This record gives sequence, C-alpha cells and structure tokens, in this order.
Amino acid sequence: MPSEDTKEKIGKVIEVGRTVLHYAWIPFIIYVGFTRSNPQPSLIKLISPLA
Amino acid sequence: MSTVPTSTVKDGLYESPTSVVPPPPPPPRAPSGPFSPLVNIYDRLAQWKQSLDLPSPGTVENLQKEVKTTHLTNFAFDGARADLAKTLSGNPLFQVTHSFSLGSQTAPSSYNFGAIFANQNTTMQGGVDHDGGVNARFNQSWSQNNVTKVQAQFSSQAGHNMVQLEQDYQGRDFSLNAKAINPWPTDLTGIYLGSYLQSVTQNLALGFETLCQRPSPDISEYTTSYLAKWTSNEKNWIATAHMQPGGIVQASYWQKLGEKVEVAADLHLIATPTRRDAIATLGAKYDLRLSTFRAQLDSTGKVSAFLEQRFTPAFAFLLSGEIDHFKNAAKVGVGVMIESSTLTPEEMGLPPQQL
Repeated sequence: MPSEDTKEKIGKVIEVGRTVLHYAWIPFIIYVGFTRSNPQPSLIKLISPLA
Repeated sequence: MSTVPTSTVKDGLYESPTSVVPPPPPPPRAPSGPFSPLVNIYDRLAQWKQSLDLPSPGTVENLQKEVKTTHLTNFAFDGARADLAKTLSGNPLFQVTHSFSLGSQTAPSSYNFGAIFANQNTTMQGGVDHDGGVNARFNQSWSQNNVTKVQAQFSSQAGHNMVQLEQDYQGRDFSLNAKAINPWPTDLTGIYLGSYLQSVTQNLALGFETLCQRPSPDISEYTTSYLAKWTSNEKNWIATAHMQPGGIVQASYWQKLGEKVEVAADLHLIATPTRRDAIATLGAKYDLRLSTFRAQLDSTGKVSAFLEQRFTPAFAFLLSGEIDHFKNAAKVGVGVMIESSTLTPEEMGLPPQQL
C-alpha cells in the first residue's frame, strides 16, 4: 500500500495530465494529421469551414 | 489469421476415413516436464473447439447493433443542424468537421469542432464545444483481434470529467471485453465492467456482463446481467435478449426482409416491486438508391420518421419528425451535411466538391 504522500503525488500527476490533455488533445490531432497527411494541406483550408 | 490452418485440419478430417485420422500434432515444445498433461489437455480442447467451427458471436456492445441502426432513436434530432466535414487526406484519413445546431427544444444551440485522424492501427478523434468542453477518443489495435480504447471527456466545470479505459479481445468463437470508468489508481474506486459472449452452437450465443461499482474503497456492489443472441442460418434475422437483475428485460428482433428493407422490434420490460412498465418499439428502414428512410412507432404513442436524402455524394439533406400523440407534442428537425475535400480529382477518384 503506497503512503499518503505517494497517493497525493499520483493525484497531482493525474490532475496535471488531465489539464494537459484538455488543452492539447485537439491541437495534437491536428498536428499529427497535418504532418502525416498525404499530400499536405494548406493551413487556411484546415481552419476555415468555407475554404 | 488462425482460420487458414483450421480449415485445412477440418478438410483433412472430412476427407480421410476415421481410422487414419492423424494423431494430434505435437505441441511446439516437447511434452515433457510437470506440465505436459495440462498441455496435452489444452491442445485436445483447442482441437475439439476448432472442429466445432463456431462462428464469431460479435461483441456485447454490438449485441443490438442491427436494431439500433434500423430504429431512428439514435438519429432523430430537432431544430436545425449543419455538419460540414472536410477531408484533408484519404490515407491516412484526416478529417475536420464543423457542426452547428440551432433552435432545439431540448438542447441549447451549440457549435462543435471535431478532428479525426486514422491509420491502419490507430484512430484518434477529438471534439471541442463552443464552451470549452473537450471529448477525446483513442483506439489502438494491437493485432486483428485485440483493441485498446480510451474515451475521455474534459470540462471546465469540476465533476464533469470522465475517462473510460477499455480492452477488447475477439477470439474465434467468443469475445471478451473489460472496461473501467473513472478508475482512481490509489484507492481503485470507479465503475468496472466485464463482459463475455460465447457462441454455443452455430446459431446461439450466450454471455454475461458483470458490473462492479466502487463509489468508495469499502463499498463494492456487483450486478450481473445475462445475454442471449440467436442468429438464423442465413443471418437474415437476429433475436437478442438481455436480462438484468431486478426484473429488467430487453428483447429485440431484427429481420432483413429484402435488399432494401429491414425491420426491427424492441421490447423493454421493467417489472420491479415498485414499478411495472413496458415499452415496445417497432421500426423499419428503407435503403433506397440515394436516400435512407426510417419510420418508427412505439407504445408511448410516438410516431417518428427520418429521411436522409443524398443529392450528390457530398451533399445530404436530413429531415426528422416526431409526433407524440399522447402528449400532443411534435418535434421537427432539418439538417444538411456537406462534405468537401481539398484533394484533387486524381487523388480522390471523383470530382471535388467545393462549397
């Protein structure tokens, strides 16, 4: 059984990971999609719904 | 993958007379040591199971998939809706979507931006609402029958976050699935779900699903529900039953009447000491050349219809309507779905559709 100290640290790590994923998940998908796409699209076409 | 050796073994068994059936092939490791009897028994069981040649039962999650795609409950909406999808790459798939919905009686107007990236083994999907809520989905297949799925919801409000970890294993004639919803690693609280579905004969598959709720470290509640699925020989009708403890039964029946017509019935029964209730739903789906039409009638007095008309491959028009005869209420929804692509005709194989 881990000590109270370790438990608190694990809790903090999860909280930070959650916040990071909240803000970075969509930019991450767009980055991966943008770099791996074949052929690579232009940035304006990516963002604008009408282009 | 493993189907090829199976069929050859089976063919061999059928062609040769029973007296010269070859002895079971020796296991890869020499059958010596303390575990050799176990290894032998395992091999025999595996061979016997292969000789039965049972079909794959599908997953527990998709037990009523056919019914759900025939009924329009999952498709209906009200108000106005527009979905703009833009495919930026075909292989690997990279798509962004903008969804708008307005004027619904039940939900406030919303805007959602989504992005999907998928290659052979990995699927990543994300969506963000106008108020900052993010939903995320990540699927990784390790082999043809082993998939890990992660789903999460992040919200700026506390208490609206959710994470679900899921492992799916699909055997030759069974499927196994384990889920953990909001697990907390230090005290193991959360909701855990395990399910198993096994083909028993060519037509019948039986299974169970166990739910374990641990709201705090010293409380854990288990509930087990039982599942049965009967698939006809031609696979043109499927009947399922899902029995939950406490007297909740869900039964469904789906039949493909022809190339273009499917019908489905669903019965929800609740018979607890405090409450007795039943809802029956009847629905039909017509797949026409450029449109899909669904109609549905249920025992609470609701009549609904849903039309999806594709004018071109890239432009679809949706019409959804529902009349509640008992409550004297109605809902109407109108939507458009526009798909565009930045790929040139040569890259896509068809003319580009620009807005």
